[in-house]
Amino acid sequence: MSNELLKVDDLKVRFKTDEGYVSTVNGVSFSVEQGETLAIVGESGSGKSVTSLALMGILPANGEIYEGAITFEDKDLRSLSKKEYRKMRGDDIAMIFQEPMTALNPVFTIGYQLRETLIVHNNMNKEQAHKKGIEMLETVGIPDSDRVMGRFPHQLSGGMRQRVMIAMALSCNPKLLIADEPTTALDVTIQAQILTLLRNLKKNSNTSIIIITHDLGVVAELADRVVVMYAGEVVEVAPIQELFDNPRHPYTRGLISSIPKIHDVVDELYSIEGTVPNPSNMPTGCKFHPRCPLADIECTKVHPELEYISEKHAKRCIKVKG
Amino acid sequence: MQSTEERVIMEVIDLKKHFDLTKGFIKKTHSKIKAVDGLNFQVYKGETLGIVGESGCGKSTTGQLMLGLLDATEGHIYFQNEDISAMSQEELRKARRDLQVIFQDPYSSLNPRMTVEQIIGEPLVVHGLASGKELKEQVRELMKLVGLREHQMKLYPHEFSGGQRQRIGIARALALKPKVIVCDEAVSALDVSIQAQILNLLKKLQKEMNLTYIFIAHGLPAVRHISDRIGVMYLGKMVELADRNELFEHPLHPYTYALLDSVPIPDPKLRKEHQLIKGEIPSPINPPSGCPFHPRCPFATEKCKIEVPEYREILPNHFVACHYPLLQEDTNVLPDSGISKVK
Repeated sequence: MSNELLKVDDLKVRFKTDEGYVSTVNGVSFSVEQGETLAIVGESGSGKSVTSLALMGILPANGEIYEGAITFEDKDLRSLSKKEYRKMRGDDIAMIFQEPMTALNPVFTIGYQLRETLIVHNNMNKEQAHKKGIEMLETVGIPDSDRVMGRFPHQLSGGMRQRVMIAMALSCNPKLLIADEPTTALDVTIQAQILTLLRNLKKNSNTSIIIITHDLGVVAELADRVVVMYAGEVVEVAPIQELFDNPRHPYTRGLISSIPKIHDVVDELYSIEGTVPNPSNMPTGCKFHPRCPLADIECTKVHPELEYISEKHAKRCIKVKG
Repeated sequence: MQSTEERVIMEVIDLKKHFDLTKGFIKKTHSKIKAVDGLNFQVYKGETLGIVGESGCGKSTTGQLMLGLLDATEGHIYFQNEDISAMSQEELRKARRDLQVIFQDPYSSLNPRMTVEQIIGEPLVVHGLASGKELKEQVRELMKLVGLREHQMKLYPHEFSGGQRQRIGIARALALKPKVIVCDEAVSALDVSIQAQILNLLKKLQKEMNLTYIFIAHGLPAVRHISDRIGVMYLGKMVELADRNELFEHPLHPYTYALLDSVPIPDPKLRKEHQLIKGEIPSPINPPSGCPFHPRCPFATEKCKIEVPEYREILPNHFVACHYPLLQEDTNVLPDSGISKVK
């Protein structure tokens, strides 16, 4: 596709532990187009956050990409030097995290941190950066932004801190914004404010967004396309409406039916039995088979391939036909 | 039909909890956090009363007061017609056989150095209710009840996943055959598929053991799923309380309306503009005058700034504290300020 911004191909990430290497991302492939919002959905242990850290080149010291390719606008990200990667982050790719308090530096003012980003990446002088900083805070809906520039992170509420993070991430006009559980730690009325902010960003700019979340409500609100991950693998890829209307993988189906619906109260919720497998002790064959209602003996032996059932809809299951 | 008195298992009257903020060497109180500021409600036998609200609204403090884990500053909490807030430590200890709690994070509430058998059996030992073979038998029964396997008895909490740890917490809460269980964010930290398992388990246990739940949470879909009635708290006050369907379909308080509207709906067809309420939750140290919601409320008038709205039953079993409760037609003609673009 011509307007493909990011392409991840067969990405594998492993961590060195006392018991040897543990692989948490096992051959993940997906792409993001310009201006597209892609959601990566999964529960804890699905590898969704590790995938995003790998894209940003900020895996923890004991983690490494051991196979696969990440291509961003024809550039191979794995071949970049540390310095080149650093330039790339901020300039082209920016990230916001679940808990902005841990991502902001507690000993510098908001203004200092915003200016620093702009001075380093956009070659601005201090006054220009200050002006632009205030402008950015206004864009993300912070009232009284002049005063907020002089505040420290701990003096702001969680919602405000998240807005500052977003302002910082957007200050260099990145082509891709990665948002890892951006609203999970926020109260629901504040979450609605931040989701609206992200939706406006999507509407008013050509920035591509990868949103990583466990919340299908957030996915339904924002995404154009969805990648569902389970145990370090992509199990389903589909456009948003298609995924909710016609989920093919038994895991996706289970996930959608196990959320309590606010407008449709049922007596008993559908639940997926069992728990997410431990990465150091993965089931053979299909990794979902111990929890799957459709699984039979074949599923314990054959590891299914991600199979495209239409141009944009893929699933990793041998039992569900078409 | 039972009379109201017989149906009520707990009752909260004018309940207040103020925490002192002290300063300096002599710990002079310079201000107070009004965590809970005048609550009145009843809990019926066998029901699930949901309490929802955002951070700082006082929902968890309310739960702790109802368990006798905190002393009330003012007011009364009646459990089966006895005032918990006036009980001695010894009396409280007895009452707690009937009043149990399940916490959000089962990992930090389970002793990491005890086996599952010891953890679940501990309440029975403390209250001198069982020992030896009988204790083991009871623990086995409890484990079966919550869906844990017998061979897991000798394992430690860290060997379990989050969902299983929550099962351990539930088994422990059930050990003394309580009448009321306060579930404080009991499913909030769990993955969706696991959350569904635990919600189903709680419902099943309620039916089998005739339990009353006070289900405190910020996740509205889960609260709607499990509750019979739901109370909404804001800055230490109950702003609305009604049957769950009534509350979700006809919210009367503007805050409830905004809160329900903010919940992302897992259906892309229903994608819509949210009616954003402006600003953030004020600090409970210095709450606004009059109605605590007035600075964020699109309908606020001068009266709302001055006069505290009375919490009253304006429809049968539907309580609200608002000078101008939302009538049906109002939801279509919200003024432009704050709450915007209602379709």
